[in-house]
Amino acid sequence: MTEMFSSLYGQTDTQGPPGPSALGFGPGKPLAPPAAQNQVHMSVGIPHQLVDEGPPLRKPGAMNEPFYLLRELPVENELTGNTNLITHYNLEHAYNKFCGKKVKEKLSNFLPELPGMIDNPGLQDGSSLRSLIEKPPVCNNSFSPLTGAMLTGFRLHTGPLPEQYRLMHIQPPKKKSKHKHRHHRPQDPLPPETPSDSDHKKKKKKKDDDPDRKKKKKDKKKKKNRHSPDHPGMTGSQPSGSSLR
Amino acid sequence: MAEKFDNLEEHLEKFIENIRQMGIIVSDFQPSSQTGLNQKLNFMITGLQDVEKCRQQLNDIHVPLEAFEYIDQGRNPQLYTKECLERALAKNEQVKGKIDTMTKFKSLLITELGKVFPEEMAKYKAIHGDDPPS
Repeated sequence: MTEMFSSLYGQTDTQGPPGPSALGFGPGKPLAPPAAQNQVHMSVGIPHQLVDEGPPLRKPGAMNEPFYLLRELPVENELTGNTNLITHYNLEHAYNKFCGKKVKEKLSNFLPELPGMIDNPGLQDGSSLRSLIEKPPVCNNSFSPLTGAMLTGFRLHTGPLPEQYRLMHIQPPKKKSKHKHRHHRPQDPLPPETPSDSDHKKKKKKKDDDPDRKKKKKDKKKKKNRHSPDHPGMTGSQPSGSSLR
Repeated sequence: MAEKFDNLEEHLEKFIENIRQMGIIVSDFQPSSQTGLNQKLNFMITGLQDVEKCRQQLNDIHVPLEAFEYIDQGRNPQLYTKECLERALAKNEQVKGKIDTMTKFKSLLITELGKVFPEEMAKYKAIHGDDPPS
């Protein structure tokens, strides 16, 4: 066993365990020679860079003092946990934004414009981002437009989709909110009834309910009825405003 | 910096909108819709090319994987930011508490040692100098 040990470390350990003086605990003994010996011994197995020598010892003159093991105080880092790191990195605004008020739990609150049932876990339908990272799709590096021959593969049968695939574009029911949508969707072939549309209708209704307007309308009708037989040139397509002038 | 994100966001919004419209066309397909569908398919490829172009501008942006986990669970990823900030502040306070306690302990120890070993502590102070104010 000792042979194996000696073969590993290159020399036999015949000196025995170092005494207290060798460790530097003896009073008034110079430290340098044992420390140097230790370093030589250690450098056999461990690379020099890995040996943490720590901060240098104080003055050589102070070796005879009672604090000969005293080392230089570590250089104080400018940035420690003593300073408020959120203020240091100018993150107060972000902190107040996210921690000052309650952040809504659902993903649809973060991405209200995104169609589909996005609050369901992605693992259920295999649409998770993790699976995209772990198993990236096998494809070319570039995207090229589909040619006429390729597009024949996308010829579909007439008729509605089977039941199980219809959920793709159905939006989950939303609570009525006063928030306005940030972006208006252009080129919408089948625009769903947006809150702005319904507001517009409501406004129209409100206008119709106005009693003054009702009176004016009645007056217009009466005038029309009176004038229509006498003035056959006047048609119903003319703006009503001109008749009031 | 924000322009990069705005550009990507715009392309993604257009892409998603195109996909949504394709979904509507496909959900009740009519023979006359084939041309429109073909156009949408090619528009989808153009959209992917646009998103691909944005990639070069965003090479230096790193997204933590944990944020993806929130999205996969159908949760708001802002909750991740919130939790990170709260954790950072808590840890910051904890470390500050430790530093403050150790500083107090050091000054108390020096005071008490000075009472018991006045000579040694005088020498210690001569070597180390006076402690900086805590």
